[in-house]
Amino acid sequence: MKKIWLENYPPGVPAEIDPCAHASLKELLEQSCLRFHDKVAFSNMRATLTYAELDRLSGNFGAFLQSRGLAKGARVAIMLPNLLQYPVALFGALRAGMIVVNVNPLYTASELRHQLADSGAEALVVLENFAQTAGQALAGTNVRHVVTTQVGDLFSLFGRWATNFVVKYLRGMVPSWSISGATDFRTALAQGEGHGLGACTVRAEDVAFLQYTGGTTGRPKGAMLTHGNMVANVEQTAAWIASTLTAGAETVITALPLYHVFALTTNLLLFVRLGGRNVLVTNPRDLESFVAELRRTRFSVITGVNTLYHALLETPGFGRVGSAHPGTLKVAVAGGMAVQRSVAKRWHELMGVPLVEGYGLTEASPIVCANPLGAREFSGKLGLPVPSTEVSIRDERGAEIDLGEVGEICVHGPQVMRGYWNAPAETAAALTADGWLRTGDMGWMDSRGYVEFTERRKDVIVVSGFKAYPTEIEDAVMLHPDVQDAGAVGVPDARSGEAVVLFVVKKDPALTAEAVLAHCRQHLTGYKLPRRIEFRERLPKTLVGKILRRELQADAARSHG
Amino acid sequence: MAEYPAHLVQRHRLFDGRAVTIRPIRPDDEALVRHFLDELSGESRYLRFQKWVHAPSEKLVHFLTDVDHDRHLALVCTVPCAGGEELVGEARYVADQNGIHGEFGIMIADDWHKTGIAGLLMEALLGAARERGLQTMEGQVLTRNAAMLRFARGLGFSIEPMVGDFTTMRIVKRL
Repeated sequence: MKKIWLENYPPGVPAEIDPCAHASLKELLEQSCLRFHDKVAFSNMRATLTYAELDRLSGNFGAFLQSRGLAKGARVAIMLPNLLQYPVALFGALRAGMIVVNVNPLYTASELRHQLADSGAEALVVLENFAQTAGQALAGTNVRHVVTTQVGDLFSLFGRWATNFVVKYLRGMVPSWSISGATDFRTALAQGEGHGLGACTVRAEDVAFLQYTGGTTGRPKGAMLTHGNMVANVEQTAAWIASTLTAGAETVITALPLYHVFALTTNLLLFVRLGGRNVLVTNPRDLESFVAELRRTRFSVITGVNTLYHALLETPGFGRVGSAHPGTLKVAVAGGMAVQRSVAKRWHELMGVPLVEGYGLTEASPIVCANPLGAREFSGKLGLPVPSTEVSIRDERGAEIDLGEVGEICVHGPQVMRGYWNAPAETAAALTADGWLRTGDMGWMDSRGYVEFTERRKDVIVVSGFKAYPTEIEDAVMLHPDVQDAGAVGVPDARSGEAVVLFVVKKDPALTAEAVLAHCRQHLTGYKLPRRIEFRERLPKTLVGKILRRELQADAARSHG
Repeated sequence: MAEYPAHLVQRHRLFDGRAVTIRPIRPDDEALVRHFLDELSGESRYLRFQKWVHAPSEKLVHFLTDVDHDRHLALVCTVPCAGGEELVGEARYVADQNGIHGEFGIMIADDWHKTGIAGLLMEALLGAARERGLQTMEGQVLTRNAAMLRFARGLGFSIEPMVGDFTTMRIVKRL
């Protein structure tokens, strides 16, 4: 496809980026630490880390991992919410050439076990609050080294003591746990300091992340994102917004979880590259505290998903955030799911800056398209392909189709993953022979090169930007001994974009919806849980027994309406 | 139930020299079918049932094995093994009430892809359907199942998108 979108690029945005601007994320970090050493890189609950401290602590953590005998290419799982320990552990592992496996801290033991076993992780870094789950998941995995941390571990002495005490004893947020041989985070840092970070050459083609994403055939699979993929996507995103931002002078609100690729790239990595300050919000669900933090912080950039922006707009006191520091907000990015026009409109009116929608997916590190920052208003489109990225709309046979026709959005560029870890069949289904990524999203391109989303393939449900696969939900539900059959579909939902509706055929007539839900909670993270459970005598199937998902979907939509 | 259609039994030698038998399924094949499904990869089961089948239920095994050889015809492909025979592929159709349109489904053991047995099974199945007076044969195939779509096109099926559903395609052949 001719790159028609280039003619509509905003002034100053280049057609191509230099994908080799940095050899690796290790080099990217080390350059920023040199250049911005006395600036604050991360802050969290009033505590801060400067670039110099990030350099020192992440070096110590990398050295600790090396001292335990972990080699380049070893997988290190990180199961942390947005805390200062996250960038320390992340860059520690990356600087030692290890592969980071990001884990959702709210995972159940069975979800965690799968991810640890599949990735072959040898080390796990986990917040004490989730150590009980971790302890239940370790059997049968290769994890030999566990590092546990408490919320306040990188705060000043008093802050650390007070925070850890409150979290553990007053709020009772740490279920009892026991993992033999676990090392606490501060001890690990001290041990690493004595050891010193060993030299390690990291190349663009080395895998940096196994970033897990749901699969149509059951369990999540790890997208192999290389240092080159991630550096390219950081450069692509930087090229898009560079003219608006000043190196070393920006503050970004990071409320989306860093274990998800969207915040990982657009907040953490991009703003480390720009020498900015990431304000880590550990629990954005505590909206009152979140809004209070926004009011006292001069921030220039914020990223979120529709659900988050909607919740903020509904929170009392949010109206005063814009007036607390007038004129400081430059960019508000929305991704992960479609933004509702009403949310975009209210945000723009209140904050004076439009929500800029971007589009991406884990397999593309993730950014593929973005709307121009200078846009006067919300477009409702996915945007233009970012620099060095090609988008082609293809039919079911893989042939490119005419402008304006709906087909599958396919992507080519330096940010496209190498494949899925140990899953050649899944890789072959996602990547064409000539290296194009099939996104599974349907859409069309207009004559200016803007891509518009029309619908998703029916085999994935997107809840607040998180992908929930019916197959994984069904697999978990079918483990219940009283369930004969199960089918999960998505229905539109005002709050979360889509919600899961589960249909169950009972084996035991006494089975209740409560029992099914309780079972689901044992096996599935919150966003995958069914919003509603309906019992049916049978699921709609074709004559030879293939499930008719579109009928199930129509049934769900009828009863949901 | 119609009589066991013994005339549909065929023996073939594959291009790699291995001998296979294609025959209508029998009620006593349940153990073979169960073993076949158990050995099938999750991906293959998903592509066939278009849904995650964690552990094949007795109900499913029964549905696949207990056929009337008339409205529901199933052919299996077997090879000799130490204990007797092993099932390496199966194909079936179920006809509508009027016996005019049939829907088919096919499964091949993961190690037996690209050996030619899928073609042999389909040829035999389409022949049997013609013999019973069916006029069309159709199938529901996942869009991502490129290998199956290529295979179907080679057999003369036309491929049509489903209205409002990009995940599945309808393939049809006039008999």
